[in-house]
Amino acid sequence: MPLMARRLVRPELVIDINRIAGLDAIEVLASHIRMGALVRQEQALRSSVVRECVAGLAEALAWVGNPVVRQRGTVIGNLVANTPGSELPAVAIALGAEFVVRHPDAEVTVPAAALLGVANLFGAGKGLPPEAMVTHVLWPRRPGAAGFYEVARRDGHAPVVSALVTMSNDECRVAVSGVCATGLSCPSMARIIARDFPQPPSASALAGALQDDLTGPVYGDAHSSARYRLDVAPLVSRRAAGLMALRAVA
Amino acid sequence: MSEEWHQVSMTVDDVPRRARVRARYLLSDFLREQAGAGGVHVACGHGVCGACTVAVDGIAVRACLMLAVQADGAHVQTVASLSALEGAPASGRDGLTPLQAAFREHHALQCGYCTPGLLVSTALFMSQHKAAAALPGNPSPRRAAILDHLNGHLCRCTGYANIIAAIESVLP
Repeated sequence: MPLMARRLVRPELVIDINRIAGLDAIEVLASHIRMGALVRQEQALRSSVVRECVAGLAEALAWVGNPVVRQRGTVIGNLVANTPGSELPAVAIALGAEFVVRHPDAEVTVPAAALLGVANLFGAGKGLPPEAMVTHVLWPRRPGAAGFYEVARRDGHAPVVSALVTMSNDECRVAVSGVCATGLSCPSMARIIARDFPQPPSASALAGALQDDLTGPVYGDAHSSARYRLDVAPLVSRRAAGLMALRAVA
Repeated sequence: MSEEWHQVSMTVDDVPRRARVRARYLLSDFLREQAGAGGVHVACGHGVCGACTVAVDGIAVRACLMLAVQADGAHVQTVASLSALEGAPASGRDGLTPLQAAFREHHALQCGYCTPGLLVSTALFMSQHKAAAALPGNPSPRRAAILDHLNGHLCRCTGYANIIAAIESVLP
């Protein structure tokens, strides 16, 4: 709806999924948390299951939109819109989430990175065919500590740069948005953070590691230049690492 | 899509409304044009400013980001239902609800364009927090929660300080 209201898309057909029963459930599976396409962002944010089982997801959700928007906006809707800079797509890639995609004749499970690593899911020839629908997202169960931080022009809007750092059983993961056109999983930065834990690493060490984690060109727009994004991403990541460490030792 | 027409019916501020509308007709337009709900203010038209916020089946919704057909069968409440949303009667010489009285007392509005949406979502915010505060061990909302709530509303007159003061004054 926001894309239509801003005249960015003019779909031939709009299907309202709001009244499909059962799609609003958050289920605990053996190795995953499964969320249907109607799970609202606020519902996921307030879910004790999400907080306990998927380190970092609730922390990131608290920075998405605002309470009124989050009550109606869905987790999957936010993911598949895959807006450049958006927090959740980067988080889904870094945490190894998977999508359940229903085609007319089959249901397949695909890594979130396979769909979200392509800029603009609705772009011509990319992403999903029009008759396919993402019905569920699977989040690997990985409890632990997390820290999230972002720099945004205005609270509740897509950030300039965001970073999530999670630590689960000594395994560190880092998600960064707003640097490349799609969200980034940053294993090189994660290695540096894990090495120095619980001290936050230096921003220069993170800046060097970030270079190895880039998947494409750094983008710039009217809000922030590519140079600024590249400068601020290590600082934002360092702050997220500090927040994670505070919670891990608490 | 724009050629398709649908019959929709909903209650708006307890009055049943029924109309044949185009598929792409917005709920905000329906409320203003078909239901006479002039308290639904449309400003940005794409969900950023919060001026058109109404309650649809008890949930705060941007009326400009919902199609009228999506609200078929729903119970919609605008600022005209504020007393019901607050769960408190309008009283006094001017017939104001406690929230309206607090807004006046604290000068929490100037031009008033953003005010109806702000009142609707604040009433829902307060009822959520009253429910949460009733549980043991839950403090009443702190300033951070109020700021988070106000994040969804743009006001170009007040600078928000007076709105925050008004909301703080009516919270338990």
